[in-house]
This record gives sequence, C-alpha cells and structure tokens, in this order.
Amino acid sequence: MGFLPIPFLDSFQKKGVMMDNPYIHVIIAAMFSVVFIIFTSLGLGYIASLVARLVGATKRVQENTFSGYLFSGPWIIGFLLFVIFPMVLSLYWSFTDYRVTENVPPQWVGFENYAKLIFRDSGFRASFFNTMFLTVLGLPLQIGVALVLAILLNQKTHGERVFRMAFYLPVILGYNTAVLLCWRLMLNTGTGIINLLIRGFSNTFPPFRYLNRAAIYGVEVVNAFFLGLSNNKFNLLNKVLEAGFPAENRVPLWVQSPMWSKMSVVLLMVWGCGAMMLIFLAGLNNIPKELHEAAEVDGASAWKRFWKISFPLLTPYIFYNLVVGLIASMQIFEPIYVLYRDNQPLVSSTISMVYYLWQASFRHFEIGYGSAMSWIILVIILVVTLIQFRLQDRWVNYELY
Amino acid sequence: MRTAWSITLRILLYVFLTGTTVLMSFPLFWMISSSLKTLAEANSPGIVWIPNQPTLEAYLNILQDSDFLRSYFNSVIYTALALVGTLMSVSVVAYAFSRINWPGREAVFFLMLSTMMVPPQALIVPQYVLFNKLGWIGTFNPIVIPGFFAGGAAWIFLLRQSMAQIPREMDESAYMDGANHLQIWWEICLPLVKAPLATIATFLFVGFWNSLLNPLLYLQTVDLYTLPVYVATLYNINSSVQQWPTIMAAAVLTTVPLMIVFFFAQRYILEGVMISGLKG
Repeated sequence: MGFLPIPFLDSFQKKGVMMDNPYIHVIIAAMFSVVFIIFTSLGLGYIASLVARLVGATKRVQENTFSGYLFSGPWIIGFLLFVIFPMVLSLYWSFTDYRVTENVPPQWVGFENYAKLIFRDSGFRASFFNTMFLTVLGLPLQIGVALVLAILLNQKTHGERVFRMAFYLPVILGYNTAVLLCWRLMLNTGTGIINLLIRGFSNTFPPFRYLNRAAIYGVEVVNAFFLGLSNNKFNLLNKVLEAGFPAENRVPLWVQSPMWSKMSVVLLMVWGCGAMMLIFLAGLNNIPKELHEAAEVDGASAWKRFWKISFPLLTPYIFYNLVVGLIASMQIFEPIYVLYRDNQPLVSSTISMVYYLWQASFRHFEIGYGSAMSWIILVIILVVTLIQFRLQDRWVNYELY
Repeated sequence: MRTAWSITLRILLYVFLTGTTVLMSFPLFWMISSSLKTLAEANSPGIVWIPNQPTLEAYLNILQDSDFLRSYFNSVIYTALALVGTLMSVSVVAYAFSRINWPGREAVFFLMLSTMMVPPQALIVPQYVLFNKLGWIGTFNPIVIPGFFAGGAAWIFLLRQSMAQIPREMDESAYMDGANHLQIWWEICLPLVKAPLATIATFLFVGFWNSLLNPLLYLQTVDLYTLPVYVATLYNINSSVQQWPTIMAAAVLTTVPLMIVFFFAQRYILEGVMISGLKG
C-alpha cells in the first residue's frame, strides 16, 4: 500500500488498511462533514422557506429565506452541535458526579460540585488567585509597556514600520511551545542567559546590584503575599520579611521558586504586548492632528498635551485592551504547560483557571466536576466583562468635551 | 538651543527603540545561536553569544528523529485541512450575512457575535465527551472538523464587513442574468475580498500552527502528535542534562513557517489585529 512513499510514515503503511491511515481517515471524515453540512443546511433552508410560505411571504422573500438559511447553515448547525448542545449537557452534568471512565449512569448531586469548587478545592482557589495576580500585576504592566512603545513610535519616527513589526513578532511566536522552550532555556537559574546577564551587570555596575536586590525583594514580598492569599497561610510572607534585604549575590529564581514562577509568565505577557501596541497606534492615528496643533499654538507643553488630549482620547483603546486582555489572562495555558508541567511543586503557584480545568478534568476524567468548573469560569468572565462595561462611563471618553 | 535639545531627544528615542527591538527579538537570536552550539557550550556557566565553531550537529540529530519529522508532517496536514475548511465555510456564512436579505438575519448575526464572549476552553469538557461518543478520540477529526462549521465569529464578522461594501448592483445584475447565489459567491464576491481573506488565512494559520490544548487533548498517540505537542516532550525534566542544541534546532525548524508567513503577510496582519484582538 505504498501510497505515501515517505519513510517516517512506515508505521501506518504496514497496517495496510485504508481506514487505519489517519490522514485518509480525516480526509474521508472531512468529506462526510461537507456532505452532512450541505444536506442539513438544505434541510434548514427548506424548513425556513416553508415557514415563510405558511406566514404568507412573497415568492421573493421565500427564495431569500431559503438561500439565507442555506448559506448561514454551516454556522447555525455548528453552533447547535458544538456550542449549544455541549453547553446544555455540561450544565446538566455539572450537577452530577459523571465520570467518563465508569459505566454507571451519572448521579444527581445538586450543588455539591459548585460548593466543593468554591469552598473546599485548594487547587481551584490557587488558580483563581494566580489569575488575579496576572490581572492585577501583569495586565497593567503589559498595557503600560504597549502604550509607551506606541507613543514613542508615533513621534514621526523613521523606520516606524520595522520597529512596529519587530515589536509585534513576539505575538505571532509567543505561544508556540518551541519558543516557550527557548524561554525555558533563557530563564534557567544557573546557566540561563537572563541570570548570567544580571550577574554580569551587578558585578560591573554596583548601582545595578542595589536595583536588582530591591527588585528581587519587591517581587518576593508581593508574590509571597499572593501565595498567602491562595492558601490562607502567610508564613512565607513572614519568612521573606524576616530575611530582610536579599543577599549581594542573589538572582531571580525564574523557574525554580513558587515566588517567581508567575513572574516568568508576566515577563512573557510583557514580551507579547505587540498586539496591544498596534491597537494603541491605531488609536493615536485617529486623534485629529488639529487638536495638537491648536494646543501647541496656545503654548501647551508636550507633557500637558499628552495628558489633556492624547490620553483621554486613548481611553477607549485602553478599555478595549483591558477587556480582551483580561479574558486572555484567564485562559493562559501554553506557558504554564511548557514551563511547569513536570514540576509539580511549582504548578500550584502558577496554574491558571484553564490549566486547572484541563488538569482536573482530563487526568481523572471527572466530567461532572470539570463541567461545573467550566461554568464558573464562564460566569467569572461574563461578570468581570460586564463590570468593566458598567464602569466604563466613569473613565472612558469617546469625545473630548 | 532648542534644536540641539530636540536632536538629543531624537537620538535618545532611536537608541531606546533600537534597544527594545534587540530585547524583543533576543529570544529568536538566542534560539538560533543555541541550535548551533555544542552541548557543552549550551550548558556552560559563561555566556557564549555566538558558538566558536558553529555546528549543524543538532539539526542532523533532530532530522533523524522520525517522530519529529512525522509531527511536522502532521502539523502541515492539520493546518492545511483546518485552514481550507474554516476559510470556505466562514466565507459562505459571511456571504449570507451580507449579501442576502433574509428574515432573522439580524437576530442570528447578534447571536453569532455574542459567541465571541464564550471562551472556547469553557467548552472543552463537554466537547470531549461528544467526540468520545463519536469515536473521534485518537484521530485528527476533533481538531479539524469543527473548523468546517464556520469556526470563529471574529472572522465571519471581519469578512461580512468587507462583503457588505461591495456595491449591490454587481450581484443584482448577475442575479437578473440568472446566476444563483453559489455562482455569485464564488465568482463575484470572493475575488473582491481577497485581502480580508488573506488576513483571515494568516491569523488562522498562526492559530492552528501554534495550537496546543486541543491537539494535546485529542491526539493521544505520538504517531498523531502535531509539532507543538511533540516539541514540548523533547524537554524532559527527569534527565539531568537537557539536549538544548537539539531542542533549539527543533524550535528553529518549528518557527520557520511562522517567520515566512510573518514576513510575507505583514500588511494583512496589521489589518487583522484590530478585529481579532490579542490572540496570535
């Protein structure tokens, strides 16, 4: 059956059966899906035009109804199959003790899963506070860096295009495991390039040494506080405060200590700020030039013009970045998987809610419990987004006056 | 005086921007540099910026790894199939939302926009059960087939906006001449929205090429692993010495298609950022 004369595909060809070849299998499945989509969409179209005829629509409207539902059919059917159906099922399962591995029918347990998640599951609590950390510390940092870069690029810089794309490149590469492994290499405590550079700078410029120690102290205090929040024990914070200012030769323990594991993720977030920067650049371009020119004639300084004109008009873009960035930070999965997957002691200090969902649901296949968690995550995202929309009147300006 | 000050500011600005560019692209440089090192150089406690004697040994190693080659092939197949399916179905649905007037259009469109609020990860548990019932675990189906059902509300929205700008007269006259919607979609609409299609294709490509969670969940055996899933297994915490040059060679080979797309599709990326938000 050498229909694919490629040596590394040997294992599939030996089996000799067409359907055993996964590539043939998926292509056949894809063709079946296309046929399925066409027939169900046609069915949808016929039903819709039948309804239109029954309510007495004109011939033209009937035709349009048929074509409209036929052409939007792929989405409508996909929505019912892959969104609505799973959501309804998972809402039901979230009130049961359903496990995929056992052949027993799911038992109704009421709000037990939700109660356990909210009040008794230390892993979920940790993942919630880790996400809080990323939103409270990582997100403002990310947005801030993006804003500064956008403003600097907006100064009629030559080669703006080159800089802009260089700053955006990390967004394309960012969450690929290959690139994350490179970060893993760079963040090594002993031999990683980042710590080697920090050591080198500390040895050559003494002021940098103090800066480094102060930064380490600050990071550890904040992280110890958040770790205390997530497990309700503040002894680590006391230990850090008692130990006082870090020793001369200390370096960050990026992928080694629970007090640093989240900082590596924050670093990755800041590295990937390019998309937010592009959005700010678009916002800056939308500010009418006349406003700045008029203010300059009136003698307003660049600093004042920024705070009185640019910044207020950028608030909708900050708002957009906040909303999207918040949803994204709740879903962080890849960096944690690549950096800490095998490092169980560190996992609990880093896990995002989606990582915990993956871990809890698919290591033990507790579908009922996982469903409850999915719904809590969904509700948290909806509530946070809603709160942000509610608060936007207070600080977002769509016009200057 | 004023000009001297502003020239100094300009120089400072360029120094800062160049410095940031160096910092931002440093991981890429480090990845390439490390892939050309010997194992001793990669794990050395001193800084080796550029290997003394660059060696392609790591590339020879990784290219002899049949699992890596197969995962590369798997990624190409998966990305190609999912890309074509998503692109076709999205453009059909966008056509319905922009060029046909049908009762219920606004309501369905609003429903579609509201799905942008639902994070896909919130659905992985029930979807897993569904695909399990279909006997799809351990095949490419769960990561390829959903795309055929117009996956991605943001893309439909983007394409609808572009299609809505095509003058009505173009398809009205074709319609009068007896062309049906399928012909109008393929022959009139699609050629006029090539640029947004390229934008969508670029973002879809990056998304599929980088995607980790779903392949990890559904592929199960190393025979089916896509690149991100396989490359992650190269790093093994249990061994005392990591084969960093080999891992980085694999990383370089994994990112090459992304770099090529990035280089040729910059124009389309800029257009897509506003609509797609932050995801790559």
